[in-house]
Amino acid sequence: MRFALIGVVALAWEATARSGLWSPLLFPSLERVFNELILFFSRSESLLQAWVSLYRAFAGFALAAVAGVSAGILMGRSRFLASLLDPLFSGTYAVPKLALFPIFIFIFGIGSLSKVALVFLECLYPIVIITYHGARDVNRVLLWSAQNLGAGRGAILRRIVIPAAAPHIFAGFRVALPVAMIVVVITEMISSADGLGYAAMYALSSLKTDRMLAVVVVISLVGLLLDWMLVNLRDRLVYWEKLDTYYV
Amino acid sequence: MKFLSLLLVFFSFAAAAQEPPLIRFGRGFAAEEQVWLMSVRPDLTPNQGKKYQLKQILFQANPERFQAFLAGALDAGTAPGLAVIFARAQGVDMTIVASICLEAAGREYFTTAYMVKDDGPIRSTRDLKGGTIGVVGIKTATDLWARVGLLNAGLVPDRDTKVFPMGFPAMGDAVRSGKISAGTFVEPFYSAEMAKGGLRTIFTAQNSVGYDHELLNIWFGEKFLKAQPEAVRAFLADYVAVTRYYLANTAQAKSDLHKAGFVRTPLPFYLKTSDWKRTASGRVDVESLKKLSVLMLEKLQWLEKPVNVDSMVDQSYLPR
Repeated sequence: MRFALIGVVALAWEATARSGLWSPLLFPSLERVFNELILFFSRSESLLQAWVSLYRAFAGFALAAVAGVSAGILMGRSRFLASLLDPLFSGTYAVPKLALFPIFIFIFGIGSLSKVALVFLECLYPIVIITYHGARDVNRVLLWSAQNLGAGRGAILRRIVIPAAAPHIFAGFRVALPVAMIVVVITEMISSADGLGYAAMYALSSLKTDRMLAVVVVISLVGLLLDWMLVNLRDRLVYWEKLDTYYV
Repeated sequence: MKFLSLLLVFFSFAAAAQEPPLIRFGRGFAAEEQVWLMSVRPDLTPNQGKKYQLKQILFQANPERFQAFLAGALDAGTAPGLAVIFARAQGVDMTIVASICLEAAGREYFTTAYMVKDDGPIRSTRDLKGGTIGVVGIKTATDLWARVGLLNAGLVPDRDTKVFPMGFPAMGDAVRSGKISAGTFVEPFYSAEMAKGGLRTIFTAQNSVGYDHELLNIWFGEKFLKAQPEAVRAFLADYVAVTRYYLANTAQAKSDLHKAGFVRTPLPFYLKTSDWKRTASGRVDVESLKKLSVLMLEKLQWLEKPVNVDSMVDQSYLPR
């Protein structure tokens, strides 16, 4: 039942491809896409493209995770910082940062750095905002108890605030991680000489829709794998509050 | 009442039957002046509205144009001849019917230029080793010329020199700021950058390939060619007439295009820019396309097997 919907979509696709109503260049059969997928995994240069995208996405995400969690926790515990940063993050959250990519290219160059910088910026927002709400909503009774027992600010942060905000922090990560993959692929489609986005554009420009769809499948698999790893890590670290997802 | 309804339906069908066939035409945004002029100056096209109707739809790139054609949203369009060869090799049923312009040698013609910083370390194409070259899109004509230029200099594209897709408007600043080592320049960007100074041409589309060759062509879907041959003939008769007008009255034609919003470059500047070679007859240089197909097969491996270019070009619809 878990994959029933995927099966229905695949069947509908195959029926369309075999109907003869559309050119196979627009709707290639699943068999052709699968063959291209096998080819993809058998070529070292294709795997290298996947690695390049993964590295860019993860670099930007990791930077955003460090900066975002720090900023979110500080905002959650400091009224002054919250009043300073909250309008900035809330006010510019809806801005599509992708529009800034041409400027990023001029600042950071056309290589990986401009893409990593954009991933960082896109991932920063959900991580900061969700962490901030997690840190702000820590149970006051726990804070008072710790203070009564003589805990300092550092100990309270380490032992109370961060563990209490951890489920929110991971929720932010879970929102940001697919964003990282999406941004990397789009920026590689716009201007790149490597990566999965470039591979998809190359296939599309070569009118190889089956190859392009195989790259799309690879991107989905990478996204699924990253999410699975994140949920597993969360369940290990936040063991007192396991996620009720399809993975557990 | 029933009789009146039937009468209405009859007359609607009769009116529809008298309507000339509509050509849904996918156009681009550069070097297609004669084609645009057909919509801007319908007074130059006596057959338009009588033997065919024309609806021009703007596309930014070839793959989108070809996909629209495959989806049944286009009947014809413009595209580089090499892109049509490539599409035909993939099974897209389209045929080249006329030439729009060529990359040609000669002071009187413009040919796409690859430029570097004048005061930079790159003195020849060979110096691009370890650098980057900007092209407007993957597997476009600009990509082909760049790769052939690199291969001519003994460099392997992607390995020795990265080939980056980038929009024409960004090329000048990208080269000047050192973000890319060389960029592709077409009019009007070429003239604008030359006016600013500080850039130098290291090779051109014409000397990269080594001979004059087709740049842009008009293609039609084979189904439309078979279903509406008279409409295609009428369209091409008008196209040739407009091309002749354009060549004889270039300044006026450019002013009209500018006024209609087809060109955004300031008019005085647009009037001064040099132009690609355009043949008054609209006839296609098939030999140059054959040579390009061999280049795509042997030098670039863009084609999987040899193609029959003669079967991809049909000039019988052009006026004799």
